[in-house]
Amino acid sequence: MIAILRMEGTNNEDDIYNAFAALKYPVEMVHLKQFTGEAKKELQRNIFDYEGIMIPGGFSAGDYVRAGAIFGARLKKISKELKEFVKEGRIIGGICNGFQVLTEVGLLPGIDNIIVSKPQISLAVNDSAKFECRHVFLKHENKCFFTEKYEKNEIIQVPIAHAEGKFITSKRILEELKENNQIIFKYVNRAGNYAGYPFNPNGSMENIAGISNLEGNVFGMMPHPERVFYPYLHQEKKKVGDGKRFFESIIKYLRREV
Amino acid sequence: MAEEISLNVNDRKLIEISQALGIGLNLEEMHKVRDYFYSEKRNPRDIELQAIGQAWSEHCSYKSSKSILKKFIFGIKAKQNLLVIEEDAGVVDFNKDYAYVVALESHNHPSAIEPYGGAATGIGGILRDVVCMGAKPIALVDPLFFGDLNFDYKKLPKGVKHPKFIQNGVISGIRDYGNRVGIPTVAGMVYYDVSYLTNCLVNVGCIGIVRKNRIISSKISKKGKKGDVFLLLGGRTGRDGIHGVTFASTQLNEKSEKEDRSAVQVGNPIIKEPLIHVCLEAVEKNLVKAMKDLGGGGLSCCVDEMAYPNFGAVVNLENVLLKERDMKPWEIWVSESQERMMMLLDRKKVDKVTDICDLWDIEYSIIGEITEDKRIKVNYHGKTILDMDIKFLVEPPVYNRPYTIRNLKEGEKETKEPIYEKTILEILSSPNIRSKAFVIQQYDHEVGARTVTKPLQGKIESLTHSDSVIIKPLSKEYKGMAIAVDSNPSLMKISPYWGAKYIMDEVCRNIVSSGAEPHSFADCLNFGNPEKPERMGEFYEACKGLGEFAKALGVPFVSGNVSFYNESEYYSVIPTPVVLGIGIIDDIRKSIRTDFKRNGDLIYLIGDIKKEMAGSEYYKLYGYDFGYIPKCDPDELKNKIKAILEVKKIIKACHDVSNGGLVVTVCEMMIGGNIGASLDLSKIEMRTDYKLFSESSCFVCEIRERDFEEFEEIMKKNKVKFHRIGRVSGSRLKIIDKEKSIILSLREIKEAFS
Repeated sequence: MIAILRMEGTNNEDDIYNAFAALKYPVEMVHLKQFTGEAKKELQRNIFDYEGIMIPGGFSAGDYVRAGAIFGARLKKISKELKEFVKEGRIIGGICNGFQVLTEVGLLPGIDNIIVSKPQISLAVNDSAKFECRHVFLKHENKCFFTEKYEKNEIIQVPIAHAEGKFITSKRILEELKENNQIIFKYVNRAGNYAGYPFNPNGSMENIAGISNLEGNVFGMMPHPERVFYPYLHQEKKKVGDGKRFFESIIKYLRREV
Repeated sequence: MAEEISLNVNDRKLIEISQALGIGLNLEEMHKVRDYFYSEKRNPRDIELQAIGQAWSEHCSYKSSKSILKKFIFGIKAKQNLLVIEEDAGVVDFNKDYAYVVALESHNHPSAIEPYGGAATGIGGILRDVVCMGAKPIALVDPLFFGDLNFDYKKLPKGVKHPKFIQNGVISGIRDYGNRVGIPTVAGMVYYDVSYLTNCLVNVGCIGIVRKNRIISSKISKKGKKGDVFLLLGGRTGRDGIHGVTFASTQLNEKSEKEDRSAVQVGNPIIKEPLIHVCLEAVEKNLVKAMKDLGGGGLSCCVDEMAYPNFGAVVNLENVLLKERDMKPWEIWVSESQERMMMLLDRKKVDKVTDICDLWDIEYSIIGEITEDKRIKVNYHGKTILDMDIKFLVEPPVYNRPYTIRNLKEGEKETKEPIYEKTILEILSSPNIRSKAFVIQQYDHEVGARTVTKPLQGKIESLTHSDSVIIKPLSKEYKGMAIAVDSNPSLMKISPYWGAKYIMDEVCRNIVSSGAEPHSFADCLNFGNPEKPERMGEFYEACKGLGEFAKALGVPFVSGNVSFYNESEYYSVIPTPVVLGIGIIDDIRKSIRTDFKRNGDLIYLIGDIKKEMAGSEYYKLYGYDFGYIPKCDPDELKNKIKAILEVKKIIKACHDVSNGGLVVTVCEMMIGGNIGASLDLSKIEMRTDYKLFSESSCFVCEIRERDFEEFEEIMKKNKVKFHRIGRVSGSRLKIIDKEKSIILSLREIKEAFS
């Protein structure tokens, strides 16, 4: 069972829910309070009843402070459980605001430890200084459990919708990310070359759009694969939705024989 | 506490009382109020006069427009009508199990005073209108009208904000609220004209989807029973948004900035987002008997309108949760604070609803219950401070205001042919034509994963305008909806009647060129001061045009809104009816987009292009204030609709001809496809500039060469005029017209457009 974690202001949960449901994988919406013990007793949930947690996009708590900061802070209440969760090889994925939450809570980049107490990555305000919603080209640089079904170096088309998506980190972390093949997606142009604005829509370091932890079971990306689950949702006509294999990869991993 | 006010005074004093309370009632209305309280044998209290002021405001009561709307707009019969006109939003048949919900309204006055908050709370309001029908909002639209962006700062009238400031605030407000609540903003328009300098127009529409057996009315049906309770939930009640409706029912002036600021509400999308979850979950679990949002007129209008005509209500005002202490009872009663909803619940089901509220941290309180005596009663700490006949409140006087109709003056004059290349580029780069990507891309138009064809279409790195957007509302069904919104101020300025017909024609063209069939309309009618006969004449003519056209098509108006008093001592807005059109497409995978697809394909012009140049972008560019206005005929349009939908499977791209004319249509199609076109217009008998820039009701279609016979046959069968005008080719625009040749590179065209 996958839990789609929500709170006030997450607003992409239906789209992710529908993707798993369409692939007939068991999925449930869970409010953050149901994990942290703040909900009524009969509504409380145990994270270890789930194989995976997905954190959807949106504007959790309004994102008035810094994108993902409040969701991240509230999630820290269960950081011990989260650490155990990841250690056991269960998965945690974050899309857009969910990616911001994972960096805020310290589950990404997952280099020094499974979870670090201070954020090591920032998803800062776009260079264009505004919210942008449009489709972009992504190159699949390295495989992780979330992207097993894509070919290495494949170019896909996925929409972005964010104001804070500029990937920034320290030189050391960047080098380690490269070394460990943790960079999963980069922004490119149609030909697959690394290019500046508008192809790199936010000014991310080295065009980074999505990364995983060392083991590949925690993953975050700014673009929205759930919004191109079906071919008819693409900007340009396609036979199969480019986002579908993202969810198929997750399910394939979760159904693996242990 | 509530103060008693004596109305046993002379007429001058009566008006002074109305003004001092800020309730905007005129003398005639004050007389009616006085007579009522004579019959009740007592003096009114301030809260009672405030309640009347809200209910009888133009904004709430439609007292100036109702009779004209009834004559032309209301009552178009169609089998898809489920619950239309009467409610906060129109409910229309979608399929066996589902209905769609449409609402469109204005937030003009607040946006002129406080652009960011005004526009944001406009979205908040329209979302509540859709949610209170039990529907899940799935799309927003935002047509906007601003003054000239280059208007000289020094000449700005006192108290008026510069259009650049207003535009920036409005777009940011829509972006920050719409994106946060997670409802995609999929369509709109941005139009500039100096007449909007002192009164910008900010209209906002919303489309929702609801299971038919979950449609909730805002009126308490006869199934309600004595003792059912009112649960107020969501945001707290504060001093923001007091007198919003009375302020929207008068002209703005230089004092408005100071005096009316408190009439603008403060929005909070992060209460709205979970509030929507709570409402929809309660509806899904069948816990709600009636539901209404709190908007114009606050609690007062909400409770009155829910209870009438079947019930009365008693409210204990001290139970309302407040943002600040020491609010006067009348302030609590009329405050328009945002993010509030009212449910009528069976007392036994209250716990089930409040459990949902608790999970989402939504505050609530029971504020009263329904009664059988058809009176509205408000208690405050045990004392009754309002006690009135509900019918008196909700059935205000209706006016048949005098109107004058101006004669249409038309006639063509001799003009010189222009330098074509230069003129085309100038039109493409004019503010009303050029790419609106800078606005559209700031709105999340993809959230919800339902947006099939986008507001910007074509290649990822070379996007162009769409005609309408196709939405897929249900996950398990390929049936979809086309959404388009239009107005045409430059034609409205010349003739409100023919302008209105053109708008109807254009909104239908936009729906059809995406491959959908027009199914319903909503209107937002933005006009000047209705107390002036010429403004009322404009309103009359526009409604006549809209209604006649819709009737002839057999497509109903299902919802709408009137905004008067968009006028100051400097300018009155061009009469601006905005029409939101909804189309139905059986299979969203068969939708058509505007971008050219393939080198070598044939280009056709569908429709009869005429020398109808008045109000065209071309004539405006050269300052020509003459010509004939396009006269759209619904029967001709019906043939075109039928023909296009019949051949839609072979149409590769389609875009209607509108502002800027044929040449702008072709350029936009080129930009989206990132490919050129080669046209030969020699067979059309007219001067080149009229062919290129006429805005007659037409379409441009792209067809594969192998399909041309089938295409032409179906056009002929449906008595639709057409011309084969060229091919998709190369990377430039080449136009031949007999001995004339016009050439522009795609790069030049893109630069002008962007």
